[in-house]
Amino acid sequence: MTVAAEPVADTGEPVPAPAAVDTAPAAPVSRARRLAPWAVLVVGVLALQAAFASATFPARLDTTFSDPLDRLARWAQSNRRTHPLFTGFFSPLTRALTWALDSVQGLLEWLPWFVLPAAVGLLILVRTRSRGQAAVAVAVTLYPGLVGLWPETMATLALMTVSVVLCVVIGAPLGVWCAFRPGVERVVRPVLDAMQTVPAPIYFLPMLLFFGVGPVAGAFATVIYALPPMVRLTTLGIRQVPGEAVEASTMFGASGRQTLLKVRLPMALPAIMTGISQSIMMALGIVVLAALLASGGLGQVILEALRQRATGRGLAAGLAIVAVATVLDRAARAVAQTDRTRWLGRRPALIALGALVAAAVAGRLAGSVAFPGVAETTLFDPVDSGVVWVRDNLSWFTRPVNDTIVGDVYVPVRDFLTGTVAWPVLVAVPAWLAWRVKGWRLAVFTAAAVVTMGLLGWWADSIDTLTQVAAAVVLSLAVALPLGVWAGTSTRVEAVLGPVLDTLQTLPSFVYMIPVVNWFTVGIVPGMIASVLYAVVPGIRITALGIRQVPTESLEASQAFGATPAQTLLGVRIPLAAPTIMAAVNQVIMMVLAMVIIAGLVGGGALGFQVINAVTRGEVGDGFEVGAIIALMAMVLDRLTQGIGQRLQPPSDR
Amino acid sequence: MSTDVAGSGAGVPLAVDGLWKVFGPRPDRALTLAADGATRAEIQAATGCTIGVRDVSFTVAPGETFVVMGLSGSGKSTLVRCVARLTDVTRGRVTLDGQDLTAMGDADLRRIRRRTMSMVFQHFGLFPHRRVIDNVAYGLEVQGVAKADRQARAAEVIEVVGLGGWAQHYPQQLSGGMQQRVGLARALAVDPKVLFFDEPFSALDPLIRRDMQDELLRLQRAMPRTIVFITHDFAEAIKLGDRIAIMKDGAFDQVGTATELITNPATDYVREFTEDIPKAKVLTAAALMTPMAPGAEVPHDPTGAGPGGARTVAAGAAVETFLPVLLDGADTLTVVDADGRAVGVLARTDVARALG
Ligand SMILES: Nc1ncnc2c1ncn2[C@@H]1O[C@H](COP(=O)(O)OP(=O)(O)OP(=O)(O)O)[C@@H](O)[C@H]1O
Ligand SMILES: [Mg+2]
Repeated sequence: MTVAAEPVADTGEPVPAPAAVDTAPAAPVSRARRLAPWAVLVVGVLALQAAFASATFPARLDTTFSDPLDRLARWAQSNRRTHPLFTGFFSPLTRALTWALDSVQGLLEWLPWFVLPAAVGLLILVRTRSRGQAAVAVAVTLYPGLVGLWPETMATLALMTVSVVLCVVIGAPLGVWCAFRPGVERVVRPVLDAMQTVPAPIYFLPMLLFFGVGPVAGAFATVIYALPPMVRLTTLGIRQVPGEAVEASTMFGASGRQTLLKVRLPMALPAIMTGISQSIMMALGIVVLAALLASGGLGQVILEALRQRATGRGLAAGLAIVAVATVLDRAARAVAQTDRTRWLGRRPALIALGALVAAAVAGRLAGSVAFPGVAETTLFDPVDSGVVWVRDNLSWFTRPVNDTIVGDVYVPVRDFLTGTVAWPVLVAVPAWLAWRVKGWRLAVFTAAAVVTMGLLGWWADSIDTLTQVAAAVVLSLAVALPLGVWAGTSTRVEAVLGPVLDTLQTLPSFVYMIPVVNWFTVGIVPGMIASVLYAVVPGIRITALGIRQVPTESLEASQAFGATPAQTLLGVRIPLAAPTIMAAVNQVIMMVLAMVIIAGLVGGGALGFQVINAVTRGEVGDGFEVGAIIALMAMVLDRLTQGIGQRLQPPSDR
Repeated sequence: MSTDVAGSGAGVPLAVDGLWKVFGPRPDRALTLAADGATRAEIQAATGCTIGVRDVSFTVAPGETFVVMGLSGSGKSTLVRCVARLTDVTRGRVTLDGQDLTAMGDADLRRIRRRTMSMVFQHFGLFPHRRVIDNVAYGLEVQGVAKADRQARAAEVIEVVGLGGWAQHYPQQLSGGMQQRVGLARALAVDPKVLFFDEPFSALDPLIRRDMQDELLRLQRAMPRTIVFITHDFAEAIKLGDRIAIMKDGAFDQVGTATELITNPATDYVREFTEDIPKAKVLTAAALMTPMAPGAEVPHDPTGAGPGGARTVAAGAAVETFLPVLLDGADTLTVVDADGRAVGVLARTDVARALG
């Protein structure tokens, strides 16, 4: 053979054998191999179904965990004033936080109404010299007063300020510590991950145990929920400081502390600021839920609006929450703005401060403290009447949609799964899938998770919730994937979708639940629609990103072979974007799961309702169990979808 | 330039003795293997450890510029970081002005760093959140010098490196060359006795690089400091270095003056570096001549056209300046020192061999 004489052989590289020789004889074997798992599945399902056809799930551990937890809750209830754990730790903590919340809120209420907008505007002006930004901030600060929500907004602002400050005070040092000690990070990181997978209301339960109902529990729940981005981004920022800058500092004889304070932290500041921004956004996301713990403020307004189906007022309060977050974010950015070239001089800054204090005193003396009365009803009246009009005139559409989803899809599927299918089948099928996707470890974990749902006595509710989740996920994907692909291929579509998605993402999801409840009445449908609205946002965004990231070279290659746009899309773009699209699916599922509890507020029933019940009635035992089940669902679905995503990666990246 | 700005003391001696640096999980096994003569690649394969520096020894006299050069990955940065104790050394000793840096605790090391040594970095290592003047004043700030004093001193040094008028700018507002001047000013501001340079000019374009080299030579003439200078550019090494070490796979292949390396390369690796150098520009008459005893007879040159039949050349003259004379037909030249005394003889064949 002449090939041997070629330089290829000289370099010692193995000459690739012709592929056909290798695989042809192996083909029958591999076909048998391919089919074996399916055979296992079919035979297993049939056998299990036959053996357990009418067995109900043995809820062996129904009371094993919930009873002691309930006892613990009762114990906490009755010993709150006496036991050293409370008198020595939680009570002082509660008092300190109550004091902080009350002082901030007291100060905000004591100040004449115009001082806060002026202070925000001046702060931004002094630190950035940007008149436009200052004007926008003033307008945003004034907005809640204009719609008649000033006192509630001050309460929420106080809660968010205290929570975000606590987040920074706890999160920044923790982040720095993680950056220096990989050992610490190994412990902290999984905890943070867990904090982000567990739906927020579940932390409410321990908060209730330790702090009782009230704003303090709400503040702590908010801190826990908003902490992860703060810690992560601080760690990242510290790590990203170039080694040369740190070495330069060391070379000049700086101590570790000097280097940290003079070089590392200032250079990490942009990342830390992003962390603060994200924490503020997270805190904003939980304000309404925190109202379940009677923390008052705008969250309370929204919950009431939901109960009264007052869309206009709910929207007004939702926008006020967004305003609070925006103002906090802008103020934090202005404070952290370190580019001194954009600062106003010291003297104008002092004059501004003096004027502000003078205005505050003058305002107090003149007695103009409360926000001047505004006819709150006028602004959002059209919204309410629009919603009512739709309800009255489009029922020919909403009614059948509601009935189809409930009567033709949800109820039959739920009844089939809980009534007809034997429970071991529902354990075996997900486990089999997990095994195919990621191997036996995930299969065991999945099976254990599903069995846990039944053992704890929540089998029917879990299946019910999973049915709703599946339906919402399917609906979300049916909307998100095509739109995402479209947005990924067309800049114009993306530009149009952008603001819509931004609004959906920032407005508390309760707000768009109110009209939906109006139209579809309480039941599973409003929750499902709210979940879809919430989940399509990352679904569309990430899909569009994946489509857009496909290398132009690949597309041009496809075009060069004369492929039509449709061929290029189906043959090149979508396959290459598949791993990213799978990440979108993963996010959609996670978002829908996060909405399960909120859906429980508007008649979604099942697990979501149980959590709400547990939080509002203090049924700690049930709450913990259900919370654990939702967290388990999240973990299994997260790993499964991530596993599928990894299998879709091109081999070289694996 | 005032002597105050240039600095008060001359350099101090630096000695490095048997220095090793091993990265990785099992340094002792790597050292044992290395002692048996295993190569860097073999040690890497066997232990997963990378030999960064391999048994390096050298001394730098006060006021001397010692250049270390080698290809990327040869361990230059690792060496200078070990010498500056920015990383711990695995084995060996670094002595600065009689004090053993390797055995020193953190507090003592900080004291030495504040008073005695400084470093200029390849990517400048500036602090983007500080103005130029606060960057330059950093070393003094760390020492606890009062703000007014350190700013005054920083302003002086900024003038010295030619950045007058830029003190209030931020580093990102400056060009690369100017940024490195800030790096240089920052190092000079603490009036160090020893300066470490890790490829300080590699990121600059050629014209600016030449400016910076001239700047450094000027500063060094005004106030000689002990310098360890890392580069991968042989021309730069020749221009700045009193002596040059060629580094390969963590070890020194050869240490010597530029002439020694060019005329007498110890290994092929060294020869490769010197090959592209315009030797006629670098080599001097003194480097190539055959020395003769003081007062010996100047040999007669039959083809000589000059006075006395022999042509003379100054000891420090570069080959290119007298090459035309040799090409004109002169077989030998008499090398004379500054006082006109003959110190050696230069044959045309010697020059031809050196340039070949
Ligand atoms: N922290 C480290 N951990 C492990 N290996 C390292 C570390 N730092 C350097 N090395 C290795 O040591 C060897 C020498 O690296 P060094 O940075 O000293 O090279 P260099 O000569 O400065 O190269 P360059 O010209 O690219 O700067 C390289 O093989 C590098 O991979
Ligand atoms: Mg280097």
